[in-house]
Amino acid sequence: MSDNAVACHPATPPPKGADNPFVNGLWKQNPVFVQVLGMCPTLAVTNSVANAVAMGLCTTFVLASSNCLVSCVRKIVPKQVRIATFIAIAATMVTIVDYLMKAISISMSKALGPYIPLIVANCIVLERAESYAARRPVVKATLDGLGMGFGFTFALTCLGSIREVLGAGTFLGFSVFGPHFEPWVLFLLPPGGFISMAIWLLIFATWRERKAKKAVAAARAEEEKTQMAVLA
Amino acid sequence: MTPTFPMMKVLGTVSLVCGLLIVATNISTSAKIHQNQEIVMHESVEHLLPGLQKQIVYGVEDSGDLKILPTVEGENVKRFFAGYDASGKLLGIVVEASERGYGDLISAMYAYAPDRKIITGFQVVDMRETPGLGSRIASDPEFAKNFTALDATHPIKTVKHGTKQNPWEIDAISGATISSRAVGRMLAKSVQEMVPVIEKNMDRIQRGN
Repeated sequence: MSDNAVACHPATPPPKGADNPFVNGLWKQNPVFVQVLGMCPTLAVTNSVANAVAMGLCTTFVLASSNCLVSCVRKIVPKQVRIATFIAIAATMVTIVDYLMKAISISMSKALGPYIPLIVANCIVLERAESYAARRPVVKATLDGLGMGFGFTFALTCLGSIREVLGAGTFLGFSVFGPHFEPWVLFLLPPGGFISMAIWLLIFATWRERKAKKAVAAARAEEEKTQMAVLA
Repeated sequence: MTPTFPMMKVLGTVSLVCGLLIVATNISTSAKIHQNQEIVMHESVEHLLPGLQKQIVYGVEDSGDLKILPTVEGENVKRFFAGYDASGKLLGIVVEASERGYGDLISAMYAYAPDRKIITGFQVVDMRETPGLGSRIASDPEFAKNFTALDATHPIKTVKHGTKQNPWEIDAISGATISSRAVGRMLAKSVQEMVPVIEKNMDRIQRGN
C-alpha cells in the first residue's frame, strides 16, 4: 500500500452517543426526519404505504450492502478516486436490487418506476459511504446502513400512511372510512407530499423540543438540589 | 504526485467485481423475470375473458398473416391472444395497445368479440398517469362501463363526461380528460389496425391452429 493510496482512515473519533449505529440511523439521526436527506423519492413514491415500504426496503438493501463493500475496500482506495469507487459500488447494488425487484414483483417494480434506478442518486447512500462506512470497520458500517435504511423505511411509511389514508381512504389497499368517504385527492398529488412531510417534521420537531426542555429542567433541578445539599 | 497506477488498479478491480456481480444477478433472475412477465400477461387475458381454458398467442407478420408464438417475449412484437373455453369454442380476442397519455405511455389490453364486433373489456397494464386523477382510467367503475359493449365498427371517440350518446363513444372521466382521450385514441388506432387482420384470419383463429 503506497503512502498516498490510503485516504479513508478515521480522521476524527466517532461522536458521543454514536455507539449504536443501528439505533442512530433508525431514530437519533433519522435520514428523513432529522437529516432531511433523500427528499426526491420520499415525496415521489409515498402515495401509498406499499410503495413506501418497498422503496424503503430497496434503499435499505443498497445502503447496507454498499456500506459493507465500501468499508471492505476503504484501506486500498486512493482518495482521488474514492467517490467514483463508492458510486460504482452503489450503482451495482441498485442494479442488483432492480433485477431482484422485477423477479419478486413485476407490479411493484412498475409502481416504483424510475425511482429504483434513482436510488443511486439518493444523497443518503453516498453520504453514509463517505462520512461513515469509509472510516469504520465492516460490522459497524453494515449496521449503520441497516439502521439508516430502516429509518428511511419508517419515515416513508409514516408519510405513505397519511397520504394513502387521506388521499384514497385506504390503508394497504383496505378501506378505512367506508364507501361514503370522499378521498382528499390532493394528498396523492405532489402538494400532498409536501403537506404530509411538513406535518411529520412539525410533530418530530415539537417532540424533540419538549424532550430538550424536559432535559434542561431536569438538569436545573439536579443542580439546585446539589446546591441545597452543599448549603445545608 | 497522483498515484495513477494504484488508481487504475483499484478502479479496474472494483469495476470488474461490480460487473461480475451484475452479470451473476442478471443470469440468476432473468428466467424468473420472464416468467413473471408471462404470468402478468396471461392473468390479464384471463381477467378479460371469463371462462377461459386455453389461449393461443398469435404474432402478426408484415403480410398480415399469423404465426403462433411460443411465448409472449418481446416488447415491440405485434400480437394478440385468442381465448377458448373448455369445448374449444372461441371466447374472444385480447389485443395489446398503447398510447401516450398525460404522464407517459399508457399500455393496456382490450377484449374484442369478433362475432359481435364489439369491445367487451379493457384493462390498463402499465401507466404513469396522475394518481387520483388520470390513474382512474384503471380503477373507475363508471369508466369501465364504457367497455362492456363498445361498438368497434365505427371509429371510437372519447366525448365529454356525461355526453355519451352512441355505442362507439367513450364517456370521459371528469378531471381526467387527457388520459380518457388517450384511451379513446389508443382503441381507435388499434381497432383500425388489428380488426382487419383478425377478420382476414378468422377461420384459422376459430380452429385454433
